[in-house]
Amino acid sequence: MFRRFFRHIKEGFIGVGRHFGMAFSSSASVTIALFLVGLFLVLTYNLNVIAKDIEQSISLSALVDYDITSQTTIDNLKKEILNIEGVKEVDFRSKDDEFTFYVELYPDVKEFNEYYRDRNPFHDAFLVSVDDGTLLQDVKLKIEKINGIDSVHDGGSNTYLLINVLQKVRIFGGILVLALTVLAIYLIYNTISITIVARDTEIWIMKNVGAKNGYIRAPFLVEGIIIGILGSIIPIAAIIAIYLYTYKISSGTLLGVFTLVEPTPFLVYLGLALLGISIVVGFLGSYLSVSKLLRNKR
Amino acid sequence: MIKFKKVSKTYKNGTHALYNINLNIEQGEFVYIIGKTGSGKSTLIKLLDGEEIPSSGTVSVFGTNVGKLKNRQVPLYRRNIGVVFQDYRLLPKKTVFENIAYAMEVVDKPKNEIRARVKEVLKLVGLTDKAQTFPKQISGGQQQRVAIARAIANKPKILIADEPTGNLDPEMSNEIISLFERINKEEGTTVLIVTHDLQTVKNFPKRTIQIDSGHIVRDLPNGLKDEIIPSNIEADDYFDTTAKLYLANAIKEDNKNV
Ligand SMILES: Nc1ncnc2c1ncn2[C@@H]1O[C@H](COP(=O)(O)OP(=O)(O)O)[C@@H](O)[C@H]1O
Ligand SMILES: [Mg+2]
Repeated sequence: MFRRFFRHIKEGFIGVGRHFGMAFSSSASVTIALFLVGLFLVLTYNLNVIAKDIEQSISLSALVDYDITSQTTIDNLKKEILNIEGVKEVDFRSKDDEFTFYVELYPDVKEFNEYYRDRNPFHDAFLVSVDDGTLLQDVKLKIEKINGIDSVHDGGSNTYLLINVLQKVRIFGGILVLALTVLAIYLIYNTISITIVARDTEIWIMKNVGAKNGYIRAPFLVEGIIIGILGSIIPIAAIIAIYLYTYKISSGTLLGVFTLVEPTPFLVYLGLALLGISIVVGFLGSYLSVSKLLRNKR
Repeated sequence: MIKFKKVSKTYKNGTHALYNINLNIEQGEFVYIIGKTGSGKSTLIKLLDGEEIPSSGTVSVFGTNVGKLKNRQVPLYRRNIGVVFQDYRLLPKKTVFENIAYAMEVVDKPKNEIRARVKEVLKLVGLTDKAQTFPKQISGGQQQRVAIARAIANKPKILIADEPTGNLDPEMSNEIISLFERINKEEGTTVLIVTHDLQTVKNFPKRTIQIDSGHIVRDLPNGLKDEIIPSNIEADDYFDTTAKLYLANAIKEDNKNV
């Protein structure tokens, strides 16, 4: 059993060695594909975090009708808002708080403003934050329908635009990662297909003496995985280096607002993910290729 | 042991390769299959080793319905059959010894058994002294003997050779055929040789089955021993002429059987 296992591993390495040129060029193309996969993983992940940040910092202010003054009604309103799906937090700000805040904002005309304290034009208000920016519009509509709420305000249409763009970018990044992974699988598939042609005689012999399909397949799977892993070394190293460098020179913030994800443990996971992807890519590429051969010829 | 019952084979592209083949071959027999190029000889072999599936009829070997085997069952079935082709298909980077051992390694035979058996078959094919040479360093006839040794290494019950002497001169061809004779006798292996080499068939008379246009036109228990064959006739002309004589008859017989 063990002898057989090592034999396959050995044959796999011999295969890579024998078709070194081909294995190398295939590894090189996988390198490029994986580099892009890694890059987009980093970008998408960071965007995800940034998007989450922004979405959570966006809040709605729900203004309470002037005629509501009882604390119990206000508490009930708060509960009602909290019950809406997607609402994360609700903060109450009394109209006095709001007024004080406003007055402090313009110290020069403080006295003039104080005159209005008794005729406070502000509403009592709830500051509502949501779990996910895409829910903002929905939550807004629901709060507006509540009895006792005068109106609900958000950051305007720009808020929605930003959320929309971030959402699209994330989806696009995800699709790109997938497409590039498929491309890498295809590249390895092609190499192994060529290797198989070169090993025509061996496969013919194995088939004719009745070697099991799994046995015939094994060395090619090993070979595919080796090509995949070889192809992942440079991208993993490069992306870690690029990220660390970017993190260092930007002190962890991009354009002064976007915080980058901390390098540890993020980069460790990223490296492992890329290695995992490369193994899967190598395995699938060669599996598909050998299966085609084994299916076509009994 | 080998039984073809009303077997027809039409390839995907519509080529009719075999029609209504009925055939019995017993364990230990030595049989030639002759006929001109394209007559359906190789197709017969492919149906036998499970590479192709009959379009109708049944091929059964040791009671196994070969056409009904699942893809994953084919490998185990095939361990009963050794095959040899015109091009020897040896691995150039392996020695003669390693080439033969390879066939046993890939079916997980233990190392010591491999060593003993390879020595044994090398002796049988008369190449003991070439064990450590590479295929390039020996003659075509010797390479074919290595291929034969490899084909019998796992002790198959049936040995099939498709045009084994196609690339060899008459002298070497005779050597190869007498080697098949020896394997047939000493190991009790059933031997099937596809050939259109008239000379060898004449020199070593055995049961001979002639195929033409997908039909069995003759099945001669004593082979061509008692046939009168013009000494300067081309093999394909001979097959053509004799086929014409017997084909109409064979088809009539077929139709009676249907
Ligand atoms: N895989 C295939 N697909 C389609 N036609 C085939 C295939 N193999 C053989 N044939 C056709 O079937 C006929 C018999 O071929 P074959 O059995 O190889 O004859 P032989 O071995 O006697 O030369 C020929 O007409 C050949 O062209
Ligand atoms: Mg043929």
